[in-house]
Amino acid sequence: MDLLLYGLDLLVFIGIFGILAISLNLEFGFSGLANFGKVAFFLIGAYTYALLSQIGLPFYLCLISGALVAAIFGLLISLPALRLRADYLAIVVLAFGEILRLIVKSEAWLAGGDWGLSVSPAISITGVSPRVDLLVNIALVFSCLLICFVVAQLLSNSPYGRVIRAIREDEVAAEALGKNRARYKVQIFMLGSAMAGVAGGLYAQYLQAIVPMLFLPIITFTIWIMVLVGGPANNWGVLVGAALVEVFERGANIAKDYIALPIDPSNLQYILFGVLILLVLFYRPQGLFKEIPIKTRALEAVRHAREQIKGEGG
Amino acid sequence: MDVNWAQVLFNSAITGSLYLLGAVGLTLTYGLSSFPNFAHAEFITLGAFLGYTIGTQLGLGLPIALVVTFFTAGLVGLLCYRGIFQPLAKRGATIIHLMVASIALSFILRYSMGAIWSWKPYYFASSWAAFDVGPLRVTGLWLWLIAIAVGLAIVMHLGLVKTRMGKAIRATSSNPDLALASGININKVILITWFVGAGLAAVAGIFRGADTQIWPLTGWDIILPIFAVTILGGIGNFYGAIASAFIIGLAENFGVVGLMALGLSTSYRLGISFVILIITLIVKPQGLAMFFRRA
Repeated sequence: MDLLLYGLDLLVFIGIFGILAISLNLEFGFSGLANFGKVAFFLIGAYTYALLSQIGLPFYLCLISGALVAAIFGLLISLPALRLRADYLAIVVLAFGEILRLIVKSEAWLAGGDWGLSVSPAISITGVSPRVDLLVNIALVFSCLLICFVVAQLLSNSPYGRVIRAIREDEVAAEALGKNRARYKVQIFMLGSAMAGVAGGLYAQYLQAIVPMLFLPIITFTIWIMVLVGGPANNWGVLVGAALVEVFERGANIAKDYIALPIDPSNLQYILFGVLILLVLFYRPQGLFKEIPIKTRALEAVRHAREQIKGEGG
Repeated sequence: MDVNWAQVLFNSAITGSLYLLGAVGLTLTYGLSSFPNFAHAEFITLGAFLGYTIGTQLGLGLPIALVVTFFTAGLVGLLCYRGIFQPLAKRGATIIHLMVASIALSFILRYSMGAIWSWKPYYFASSWAAFDVGPLRVTGLWLWLIAIAVGLAIVMHLGLVKTRMGKAIRATSSNPDLALASGININKVILITWFVGAGLAAVAGIFRGADTQIWPLTGWDIILPIFAVTILGGIGNFYGAIASAFIIGLAENFGVVGLMALGLSTSYRLGISFVILIITLIVKPQGLAMFFRRA
């Protein structure tokens, strides 16, 4: 086994899941939206990419279309549930993911059924070694990750970001201040879905073949672990979370071949994932990296003035 | 296409009975603890495995399997609530945290069952003699299922209306604070609800397993209709759940006839529940609750 190749492959996965973690962080971390069907939008991105690349569209158009289609589905599916409590959205989106997998499984004429679709790589340079090929992929994935990260970072620290955090903390109060909560939620949900769509496209072109079995609910759950472990509402944190979870998965895969366990390691891995989530929820719900408090010039001035008054009073 | 409509109606009753047993626990715990327990699907799966082990592997037959499974799975449900959801709620977990915890629990249970019983599907050994009643093809298993569902509906109705515990459950479900102030031990009420709900889900699991296959996804395979029943019936509403279970049973069985007529894959029967779920949320998010008193 070529160790370097293995490491580079791991990097690609960290990049793709980093995008997914960033997008879930926008939805759950900053806006308090429980997207339990992240995998649905990942699937939409992947299948859109695959179908469009088969008719010969250049890869960047495939990626952008994947993002657009995912965003439109995000809009359609979230509209009935967004004005209701968080649990309705969770149920609807989770169900949507299951139905979507059913559709791509059943409609063989469109999506290849159980056999899936084959996808050509985004950038193929003839006659180069697999290492260079991987490096090209890493460059592509990490440029997309960088864009998503910068967008998420700028958005969450803008006035817009403060509104969505306010909605997360107290919907009614935010609404009373004249913020249309449903509109903000729909926008965030569409943006998050678009990012997941891009991640799906990158995944499809990297694997060069997609099948419905790749899009099980466990994917959604894995992304949730990344966000919860890394730290909701902290974009750096969820990137660390994504890297940790991917490394753990690889480590478990390697350990499988060397350690004899009384129970099947593939079962054990998911049991441990579940236990890990419960431990995080019980003992460190803020994750490894806490949310950074909002800082604005006006807020600083108020804090400063408050301290001065306190000082004079004492 | 020649369709035996009487059979379709009868199948709807079977499907409805199964979904009623499966959904009753979910809707009641959802109403009382105010979060959807996604691990409810695993109680169904657990029932299927326990029923298989007791009924077929140990050869003790269906009645004993039903009783033992009900109590064992009930205990598991109660422990899940006591060990995970109650302490989390006490620590001030949000509804999203509780939902995530239920998904985590669902994975722990599912893969533990995968480790214990393996992912290879099992099938119940006992084949039920089928006999014809007029135009209907009936098996003993289906009669058991319908009898248990109807029995459950009657017992639960009498229990909720006549007994002190039932009144306490209704009071807690409609206003926990007021119930607590009236001296009702709401903690006990919630624990009993989790016990009974998980036990009934497991009973549903035995029938589902006997009808299809027994593997770690037996429960997850029907989580969609179970949630559709819960939402359509109105969260926490027992009578709504009865009505919506049979509505969805009818919709699925007549829908399958329609799917076949249209030449579509019958695996889309799951999609019917999804459509009902979405329509409910758009038209009337409270579901059928307005037609029934809260229970």
